[in-house]
Amino acid sequence: MFDNLKKESVIAYQSGIGMWAFVLHRITGLSLIFYLLLHIVVISTSLKGPQPFNNLLAVLTAPPFVVADLALLAAILFHGLNGARIVIFDTGIGIRQQKLIFWLLLLPAVIIWIMTLYFTLPHIFR
Amino acid sequence: MVTFKIERFNPDVDKAPYFQTYEVAAGKEMSVLEALFYVVENLDGSLAFRYSCRGAVCGSCAMRINGKNRLACQTLLKKLKSPVITVSPLPHLPIVKDLIVDMDHFFKNYEKIKPYLVNNTSAPEKERRQSILERAKIDEMIACILCGACFSACTVAATDKKFIGPAALTKAYRFWADSRDNLGDERLALVAGEHGALRCHTLFNCAEACPKNIVPTYSIQQLKGGLVKCRFSKPAK
Repeated sequence: MFDNLKKESVIAYQSGIGMWAFVLHRITGLSLIFYLLLHIVVISTSLKGPQPFNNLLAVLTAPPFVVADLALLAAILFHGLNGARIVIFDTGIGIRQQKLIFWLLLLPAVIIWIMTLYFTLPHIFR
Repeated sequence: MVTFKIERFNPDVDKAPYFQTYEVAAGKEMSVLEALFYVVENLDGSLAFRYSCRGAVCGSCAMRINGKNRLACQTLLKKLKSPVITVSPLPHLPIVKDLIVDMDHFFKNYEKIKPYLVNNTSAPEKERRQSILERAKIDEMIACILCGACFSACTVAATDKKFIGPAALTKAYRFWADSRDNLGDERLALVAGEHGALRCHTLFNCAEACPKNIVPTYSIQQLKGGLVKCRFSKPAK
């Protein structure tokens, strides 16, 4: 019965905040899993003794990785706070105010992210 | 003059849907449905679309207008604020012809939730009375006209063909929460399982699409809550 079904993107109807929140939640979720694996690999180099671990950390604290860290923080903040938003809906609260709740939860995320930016890269604020 | 880009598809002739452009002499208070009448009467009699009441009550003329699922009859051209208006059939449903989609799948899902009042106690002498508060609980869901705009907008329904869908789940909640209905938790059993209420990812595409401003997500979340509570006391079915 789906013979005449047109091939189209399943996220074609993505005008709403809810849809974007869902898509971003999935993307950040997958990247956090990838980060976790990477994290285990990095930490496990300490099994080879302090020297290889310190050498690797020297590389990972270089400027390009600071930018990557900031991206990681953004992913964590979004995934965590949007996760809280989904839990709120599962308890039956605020379903009709979903857009407002999205922006309200994005506010602390942006504040924390900019504060971190200030402490990690203070010279861009001068 | 308003330019209409209308999606055409005749399964007997065409291999894939294509867009055809029409210039409509638009009146000041013209709705999209009236513009479609204009096309059929003056420009192209072969255009097929479904309509009935012309007053946003029957739910026949749901289609995708400028990227959103809307009722053609209640969408005014001046509200769209666009010189080019794109009209296509509801997405993620099989096209019968032009703007007409096959709603079979939608109504089969609707049948699954027993969309009627069940009360096997003997009928009272007069009506079964409801308090104002009892009625207020289901006020919003009763406004549903089964146009299928939410079902077609739902990404979960598009990817999982067994998902009951927002419209049917809203009705399931409407009868479950109705004080006159006494099927009780049997109704929850109807929406249990991986293709039932718990499949909803709270995307709110349904709420975005509904021409009656219903938030189906609210009803679905109530059903989810009911299912969880039911599992704790007695297993549903």
